[in-house]
Amino acid sequence: MKLALVVQRYGLEISGGAELHCRWVAEHMAKHAQVEVLTTKAYDYITWKNHYPHDREVINGIPVRRFPVDKTRNPERFGRIQNFVLQNEHRETDELRWLDEEGPHAPALIAHLKEHREEYDYFTFFSYRYYHSYWGLQTVPEKSILVPTAEHDPVVHLRIFRNLFHLPQAFIYNSVEERKMINSLSRNETILGDIVGVGSEIPADISGERFRSKYSVVGDYILYIGRIDENKGCHKLFEYFLAFKKETGSPVKLFLAGSTVLKIPSHPDIVYLGFVSEQDKFDALDGALLLAMPSFYESLSMVAVEAWALGKPVLANAQCEVLKGQCLRSNAGLFYESCEEFSEALKLLLSSEKLRQAMGENGRQYFGQNYTWEVIEGKYLKILDQLEARKREGA
Amino acid sequence: MVPIQIDYNHIDVSNIMDQIKAQIAERPKASPLELQQPLREGRSVEPQPQPQPENEGPAGPRSRAKRIMLKVMKPFAPLIKFLVLPVHEELRQTILSLDRTNRRLDSLCATMEETQRRLDIAVEDVNQRVNETNNRVDEAFLQISRRNDYIKLLHNLSHNIVVELTKLKIEEESLKSKARIMEKDFEFLQKREKALEKLALK
Repeated sequence: MKLALVVQRYGLEISGGAELHCRWVAEHMAKHAQVEVLTTKAYDYITWKNHYPHDREVINGIPVRRFPVDKTRNPERFGRIQNFVLQNEHRETDELRWLDEEGPHAPALIAHLKEHREEYDYFTFFSYRYYHSYWGLQTVPEKSILVPTAEHDPVVHLRIFRNLFHLPQAFIYNSVEERKMINSLSRNETILGDIVGVGSEIPADISGERFRSKYSVVGDYILYIGRIDENKGCHKLFEYFLAFKKETGSPVKLFLAGSTVLKIPSHPDIVYLGFVSEQDKFDALDGALLLAMPSFYESLSMVAVEAWALGKPVLANAQCEVLKGQCLRSNAGLFYESCEEFSEALKLLLSSEKLRQAMGENGRQYFGQNYTWEVIEGKYLKILDQLEARKREGA
Repeated sequence: MVPIQIDYNHIDVSNIMDQIKAQIAERPKASPLELQQPLREGRSVEPQPQPQPENEGPAGPRSRAKRIMLKVMKPFAPLIKFLVLPVHEELRQTILSLDRTNRRLDSLCATMEETQRRLDIAVEDVNQRVNETNNRVDEAFLQISRRNDYIKLLHNLSHNIVVELTKLKIEEESLKSKARIMEKDFEFLQKREKALEKLALK
C-alpha cells in the first residue's frame, strides 16, 4: 500500500503543530506501508516563502517531494481579508479569496495529485484550513483521508469548509471535542472516523537533575513549553502567575521554553530558557512540578500528552474545550477560567505532592491507553483496513 | 473555609474543580477596584513594593471606615453583589458571540432592506412594462376585431353581389328568350303583313 501524506510544511526544523504531527505519523506508518510526503518548499508559515532548494529529499528515511509556492502571503492583506470575511456578510468567492491569500499557494502540488492519483492508494491531508487540503480534497476525494487538526477558532465556521468536511473517505480526529465540533458544523457523522491524535517519543534517558545543573536551577518551578504568544494565552499566564505570587508569596518560579513573539515580563521568578533541545525539554519537564497550558485554541496539545507520559499534572486553560476535556477524561490535570481559579488550582497542586503524584499516575495511564505509538498506529491501520474492506465491497 | 476533599485513590478532577469554584464563590466579594488591582499589577513588568501607611493596620481608620460603609450599604448588598460580581468569562464569551451574531444580523438586515428596495424598484419597472404591453395587446385585439368585422361585411357584400349577379343573369336570359320570341312574332307578323298586302293589292 502506498500512502501520500500531504502537509503544508515538512522538515526536521519544524518543531510543532500539524507539521510535526505529520512527520511522526509518516515515520511510524513507514513500518506498515510505503509512505511519501508531498509538501511545499516553504519554511516560514507567515509568508510561505520558498526555503528548501531541492524538489526531492529523504528525511529520516521518508521520501519527501517538495513543490514551489508561487505566491507568497502578504500578511497585511491576508489580515484585512480575514477581518472582512469574519466580520461581514460575504459570498463564497470572498472565502475562496481568503483561502487563496492564506496559502501556501502551490498549484504544482495539486497538479501532481491529479496526474499521479493512480500511483497512490490513499492521500492523507493534514490541516483542513490550508490551500493544499482544500484543493487536494477536491482533486482526489475518493482516496482522501483528512486529519483536520481543527481548533475552535472562527475560521472553522466558514461556508467553504462545511462542504469540504463531506469530501474525505475518512477522518482522523485529534480529540472528542474536535470530532463533536466538526460533526455539529457539517453534519458529517456518517463519514468513517476515529479519535486518534498523535503518539509521543519519550526518550529513555530523562533527568530533571541534569536540567537543574545545566541551567543552574534552584527551587521549584512550573513549566510552559511552546511558542510564547498571545494566541497561546501566555499574556494571561503571566498576569495570573504574578497575581498568584503576590497573593501567596510562593517561591515557585515559572520557566518558559520555546520561541517568543511576546514581551516577557521582567520578573525574577519568570525565567525564559529560549528554544531548547528535545532532550532539555524532557529533562525540564521531568524536573517541573507541573506543566502550564494557557492556550485558548488547541486541537491536541502534544506537550500536555508528553507531560502525562512523564507523570506530570497539567494546569490548563478551561476556555480551550480540548484541554479541559482531556483533563476531565484523564483526571490528570486541573483547569482555570479566571485568575482566582488559576490561583486556587495552582495553590492546591503545589501544596499537595500526593495529589500531583496521583494525577501524574492517572496521566501515565491515560498516555498508555491512548497515546503510545502502538495504539496510534493500530488506529491508523484499522481505518485503512476499513477503507480497503469498503473498496472491496464496492468492487 | 472547608478544605478541598480529595479521594487520592480515585482522583475526580470534575469534583475538585467544583469544590474550587464553590470556595471561590463563598469568598467575600472585593470591590471592583480591589478586583482590578492584582490584574493591573500583573501587567506591570516589575512589580514595585507598595509603601504601607504607618497607621493603616487591620484596625486602622481605613478599616473602620470600610466597616461603617459596609454596615450602611448592607440593605443594598444584593444589588452591589450583582454589580460587583465578575461576569463569568464563559458568559462574556457567549455575549460577545451573540453580539457578533447580532452585528452580522444587522448587516444582513441592512443588505436585505437594500435588496428589497432594489427589488421593489425592479418590480415597479416590470409592472409598468407589463401594463404598456397589455395596452398594446388590447389595441391589437381591437384592430383584429375591427378587421374581422370588415371581413364579415365584405363576405356578406360579395355574397349579396353574387346573388344579385345571378338574379340579373337569369333575368337577362329570360329577357333574351322573350326578345327571341318577340323577334319571331315580329317576323311572322311581317310575313303576314306582306301576305295581306299582296292580297290587298290583288
